[in-house]
Amino acid sequence: MVVLSVSHLSKKFGDFIAVDDISFDLKEGEILGILGPNGAGKTTTIQMLLGVLRPDSGDVTYFGKEFNKHREEILEQVNFSSTYTNMPWELTVKENLTFISYLYTIEDRKKRVESIIKTFRLEEILNKQMNKLSAGQITRCNLAKGFINYPKVLLLDEPTASLDPEVAGFIRNFLLEERQKFQVSIILTSHNMAEVEEVCDRVIFINHGKVVADDTPDQLAKSIHTSHLELYVKDGLKRTIQFCEEQKKAHRIDGRYIVIDLKETEIPIFLKALMDLGIYYTEISIDKPSLEDYFLEVVGKKL
Amino acid sequence: MKAHRVFAIALRFVLAMKYSLERLTDSFYWPIIDLFIWGLTSRYLQTVSGGNIKIMVGIISGLLFWLIVWRAQYEIGMNLLGDIWNRNLINIFVSPLNFWEWISAFVILGLVKAFLSFSFASVVAYFLYKVHVFIYGFYFVPFVILLLMTGWWIGFTIVGCILVIGRRVEAFAWTLGSLIIPFSAVYYPVSILPLWAQRIAHLIPTSYVFEAAREILHSGTYDFNKILTAFFLNLLYIVLSLLFMKKAFDRVMLNRGMVNIY
Repeated sequence: MVVLSVSHLSKKFGDFIAVDDISFDLKEGEILGILGPNGAGKTTTIQMLLGVLRPDSGDVTYFGKEFNKHREEILEQVNFSSTYTNMPWELTVKENLTFISYLYTIEDRKKRVESIIKTFRLEEILNKQMNKLSAGQITRCNLAKGFINYPKVLLLDEPTASLDPEVAGFIRNFLLEERQKFQVSIILTSHNMAEVEEVCDRVIFINHGKVVADDTPDQLAKSIHTSHLELYVKDGLKRTIQFCEEQKKAHRIDGRYIVIDLKETEIPIFLKALMDLGIYYTEISIDKPSLEDYFLEVVGKKL
Repeated sequence: MKAHRVFAIALRFVLAMKYSLERLTDSFYWPIIDLFIWGLTSRYLQTVSGGNIKIMVGIISGLLFWLIVWRAQYEIGMNLLGDIWNRNLINIFVSPLNFWEWISAFVILGLVKAFLSFSFASVVAYFLYKVHVFIYGFYFVPFVILLLMTGWWIGFTIVGCILVIGRRVEAFAWTLGSLIIPFSAVYYPVSILPLWAQRIAHLIPTSYVFEAAREILHSGTYDFNKILTAFFLNLLYIVLSLLFMKKAFDRVMLNRGMVNIY
């Protein structure tokens, strides 16, 4: 079942086209990643999906209802969390969650606030003011806020930025559990490609305001044919470099390590050729193409 | 309109009050300082004018009544700024809360705080100078309503200006209201103003309220047309300022994007 449908959404700021005729769907229980370089139009898209920015054209439909006409009813079932927004600095964590809970129609409001506090491990910082929290603690509070109204659709902007790896892992697991238990549908933007590969069922890649790809992380990665062959060359590094240059293979040197970009099918032939040249290597690793490789290829620059 | 959503916004600012010494001083400290300064000044004027108590009552009640306008407008402007400074607008407007619920919360907060500041200052004025505002009898009620209405449209105009022009005019929240004091005839009659200023005063609803208050003080009655004029002027300005504020909100926040701007 489609819970969110975006159709031909466009937005211009003056002459700059921020979002250009974007269309996509989000299914119930699906986790959809929106990727793209800075300025690609991700945040603008999210703002339009939340109704805090008016599109120039196009339609947004949640649960089969037009967002413009059923804003309040829809936003009761949608929420948003971002690392880059704040809750009132002077209030404590509990005060913030309490006041935000009153913005929604929640039957068991008090219980819900308590359970969210427990879920996001906020007990120890409950009575601390927001301005006294670390960046990671603020991110956890923002996430807790995002779940307060039992959302059916959740939009997350860089949800694990500034979290330590343990907490970030916990959050990723939590998202997957929520999806499994309550069929929550999630849209997630992140610059952490490994996270997107781990969590997202599908990825939309936006560049210059347009959707340039819409597929699973695996399929997107597979569309990149280049693998990275890494060797620790004990004897014959110069001959290896020369051979790469003759074969016109991109390569990078780091001490006695050499990384060569090759198609997956070329690797056995390449290794055989090195053996014939009498090159002696003691370590070998092969990195298959990842979402990050896809990102770099599309964006055309290093992250 | 959902009451719990209006309550949410009001709760957010009530909770914030206990952490803000500045907001507490706005509510209680400055009214007391004003009362001391103006109370003693008017007592001196009373002495040199041959013991005319009405001078003192006029000045003190003018000060107390102006508190109502001040609090009502200040809460609207400052609360908007509070959310901008905290970058909290996005959290509020991704919830089902609508624009009118948001503004209603500010209006209610202004009402409550105006009542608290006014009551507190009135009690202090009574203890210090034996002046009480109930000297105006039942007329007191329409005066308060009209002054609140003035505070609201000033507040809405301030919000509209901050939204359109941006944070560089955030000082409007504590300065713009003062612009109409000279024309409101709070402490002196309109007739004392130069002709050009009198023309402006005739467009300011509070000038009619304070003129009516002075009439009661001196003759025990007043011209009801003054109250009607003040009411309709207030009504007109409330409608215009609401339209301006809503248009500013739609244009700036929804068309340009509140995350980028605030």
